[in-house]
Amino acid sequence: MTASVNALHPVAAYRRIAVFGGVYSNALALEATLEDARRREVEAVFCLGDMGGFGPHPDRVFPLLRAGAVLSLQGNYDESLASGRDDCGCGYTDPRDNHFARISYAYTFAHTSAENKAWLGSLPRHRRVQLGGSGVLMCHGSPRGVNEFLWESTTPNGLLRRLFRDHAADVILCTHTGIKWHRALPEGRHLVNVGAIGRPENDGSPRVWYTLLTAGAELEVEFVPVRYDQSMLARQMDAEGLPPEFSETIRTGWWTTCLESLPARERARGRF
Amino acid sequence: MRDMVPVLEARGTRVPSAPFVRFSTLWVQVTGTWCNLQCVHCLNASGPRDPWLKPLCAERVRHAIRESEALGVKDIYFTGGEPFLHREILLLLGFALAAAPTTVLTNGAAISEATIAALASLARDAPYSLEIRVSLDDVDPEGNDRVRGRGAWARAVRTIRRLHAHGLLPIVAATEDPGGEGQVGPGLYGRLRDFLVGLGIDKPRVKILPLFPVGRLASRGGDLLSEEMLDGFDRARLQCAEARVVADGGVYACPILAGLPGARLSAGDLEESFRPAPLSHPGCVTCYETGMTCRNA
Repeated sequence: MTASVNALHPVAAYRRIAVFGGVYSNALALEATLEDARRREVEAVFCLGDMGGFGPHPDRVFPLLRAGAVLSLQGNYDESLASGRDDCGCGYTDPRDNHFARISYAYTFAHTSAENKAWLGSLPRHRRVQLGGSGVLMCHGSPRGVNEFLWESTTPNGLLRRLFRDHAADVILCTHTGIKWHRALPEGRHLVNVGAIGRPENDGSPRVWYTLLTAGAELEVEFVPVRYDQSMLARQMDAEGLPPEFSETIRTGWWTTCLESLPARERARGRF
Repeated sequence: MRDMVPVLEARGTRVPSAPFVRFSTLWVQVTGTWCNLQCVHCLNASGPRDPWLKPLCAERVRHAIRESEALGVKDIYFTGGEPFLHREILLLLGFALAAAPTTVLTNGAAISEATIAALASLARDAPYSLEIRVSLDDVDPEGNDRVRGRGAWARAVRTIRRLHAHGLLPIVAATEDPGGEGQVGPGLYGRLRDFLVGLGIDKPRVKILPLFPVGRLASRGGDLLSEEMLDGFDRARLQCAEARVVADGGVYACPILAGLPGARLSAGDLEESFRPAPLSHPGCVTCYETGMTCRNA
């Protein structure tokens, strides 16, 4: 549908790709995700940003991203770290959310090397690829805002139609919220929030998720669960002095922080 | 009541403005300034008698929602006055929820058990989230009722409990220092959270709003924004850069200033209001200083 647009700006074409977001310094989950994606014979792996935050030892994810040839975007966290901002730019408005966000950001900023910050600063904000007959636009929050939350229960179809039209895309891939979802509009356009691999998605399970997209007569969207050694990650977090609320989430799969940005429906599904 | 609201006057210096960046939020001033309470800090001097800003008819609301949906609105908010005084509020909420996630702001004083059951049904069946925001300014009945009126605390708390019992997750909204006397400090957020947990609400949600020098507190006045003050400030962060309010008499820049002549951006057409908003009221300084948003998050 956007072939004419893409013809003017040639983009890489694929049949099968893996996409994830929100690494949040979870090197163990990243390693498991890349291994799983390789087994499924994808042609390329994409990350939609937010390499750091929440987890321990942020510098451990960068060698994995480079070795895995992961094509990455810049998220709000990455932008903040690269530009030396004093907050993560997550877009929280609640005092409790901001309290934990400050702790997380201060730790991550202090433990991310200058070289890796510079790399984060070099990442693009958007990326376009062709997936079969579909023009795909990748972004972090939304095509129009790096820290805009696109939750399933608060993203109306009228807005999606506007985003598809304004940004000349058949498929939009985003992350930022940390909870995956997919909606296909009747006219054949798709919004896929690919979820996050750095933190479970508030469903009571410690697993995390990435997304496989396969071109065909219809675009095939598959959410893939990833299991990794979450106990080891939680121990590393505790050893680094990160808040116990963070490691509790890793162990249990229930969010204990960043809850106030959740809409009613998504909040109701969680424990807290 | 109209004489309580300051009319904006032209000044000698150039009035700064906020750019129109995008249309995200539609506010519906559904009952105008008609309310069952008469709070001392009310943003638009609402009350039970002779509202200076009239309620909207249902067809006007439906038209605005249809127009907004076509323009790609992200969320819809109903406010007043007290929205639950509108005879067709449940039908209008259902209409809005078919288009976009919807929030209704209420003092919780006029919502029956049957209405809450109907809201729960709406929330269950709608494609998008329904949020109910209940105003409660203090965990202490006396402190709350001093600014919101006798009995307001008990009725609001009863509504909060009922909403919770029906599986809705109310957002409790409080104004910092509602009496304007420096009596309530920064611990208000924590106190309200603890209070809600004490009520048995396991997912407490609290929103704190600053005090605005508008409505019944307009006499407090205040400075106006100038180009010099805004130098280097990202005006796109102001909520008037992406919100519009449909109220009696037209479309306005923000819910705080709805009904004020200087904040009117069109006579009724939503798209026509998509232009820079003048930052010409002391209330604009509060947004600038606090970074506040009237949205839930």
